[in-house]
Amino acid sequence: MAKPKVAICWLGSCGGCDEAIVDINEILLSVAGAVDLVLWPVALDYKYDSVKAMKHGELALSIINGHVRNSEQKEIAELLREKSQIVLAFGACACFGGTPGLANLITKEDIFNWVYKNAPTVVNPKGNVPKTSTRLDGHDLTLPEIYEQVSALNGVIDVDYYLPGCPPPPHLIIAAISAVLENKLPPKGSTLAPHRALCDSCKRNKTKPERMAITDIKRIHEVEASPDTCFLAQGILCLGPATRDGCGESCININIPCRGCFGPVEGVVDSGAKYISALASILDVQTDADMNRITDQIADLAGYLYRFSLPTSILKKKRG
Amino acid sequence: MTENKPKIVCFSCKFGWGYLTDEAILSKQIENWVPIICTGKIDTTHIMTAFKQGADGVLILACPEGDCHYQDGNFEAKKRVHLLGELLKSMGIEKGRIRIEFGTDPEGKRIPQIIKEMSQDLAKLGSSKTSTLAAKKPAKEMIKVKGGK
Repeated sequence: MAKPKVAICWLGSCGGCDEAIVDINEILLSVAGAVDLVLWPVALDYKYDSVKAMKHGELALSIINGHVRNSEQKEIAELLREKSQIVLAFGACACFGGTPGLANLITKEDIFNWVYKNAPTVVNPKGNVPKTSTRLDGHDLTLPEIYEQVSALNGVIDVDYYLPGCPPPPHLIIAAISAVLENKLPPKGSTLAPHRALCDSCKRNKTKPERMAITDIKRIHEVEASPDTCFLAQGILCLGPATRDGCGESCININIPCRGCFGPVEGVVDSGAKYISALASILDVQTDADMNRITDQIADLAGYLYRFSLPTSILKKKRG
Repeated sequence: MTENKPKIVCFSCKFGWGYLTDEAILSKQIENWVPIICTGKIDTTHIMTAFKQGADGVLILACPEGDCHYQDGNFEAKKRVHLLGELLKSMGIEKGRIRIEFGTDPEGKRIPQIIKEMSQDLAKLGSSKTSTLAAKKPAKEMIKVKGGK
């Protein structure tokens, strides 16, 4: 029997997700033995045309990482969707837009103006900016079109499964691939990670006081954080209460609070909004002045709450 | 009702603002009125969902400060609204689109007055469609996907 064909592909990605796949170490060898890896731009020689020549559904699985911001990324995503039985959105960028999604706080125009004109290191006397096509020496040169906003993978194609994380940890990658190979997948649309919140498995959880009451919010670099105590109890914002468990607490273990790369817990659409409710309930403030003081201590609230998930938040917005 | 009338979603506490007034009459005067058992029950996602579904503003009517039937639900709501307002501001959306009022309305006269004031304020801000840009449209539509499912 022919081995199932699998594609691994990056869109707007840093490469960390591909590296995470390599990090499953020798298990990768048995995966490579069990499947036919037909496309993996970061690791193999490949041609998109060979994928284009495939029949619909010929690929058993496409593992796609990275966000979508330009026409090339969208085209590749659509091609893989057409040829795949299962599409797995891999990593925070594919699932929620990821850190690049923070660009949705400003417009494409603002970004172009800064990058090609106004940044102090830019020397561009002719004011050149990338265009989708230009004619040079009798040749037409083209570039992909950059879209107004960053979107997650499910903004452009139908996604079957999600595996969040920045990047996803090896044990969940192995579990996801095994589930596909053994045909033990949960219902379509599921996230292949635990359903509960990070706090549920955090070993610091038991150190939090019975009634949490924060009077000041501090940033992690401003204090010497205790390595064992709940970050929130120390007044340090940690997104654990509103973030899906499964990461293996890699940040918590090095004394860094949760940043939210696993996205919202099961059943929640907007983790930032949920976190607001959680945070408000533990703020110990009496007066409006106290309230203003404590919110002034949070630098970039939208950026903090949606570090990995702005494109999939309920309110997506240009910063005024 | 004119086309330009701002859409307000009003959550009101059934204790402070609800049980003394005639809900049947008020609900005719106020579109999108959601009586709720305690304002402490209002989650930020309820408010954000109201905006997503086209509200230009959200009004929350809570019990008088220090006088919550459930101890301090109105105080919890106040903190949430404050933080959510800050979040909206940092996303470039006007804070004034969320308003929380504390008090009671035994005669059922003050609520329409507050709605009127807020409508006037929101009319100055314009539609939340312009201030929330992409919020109404899924990313699919934003980037004009042709054949994507």
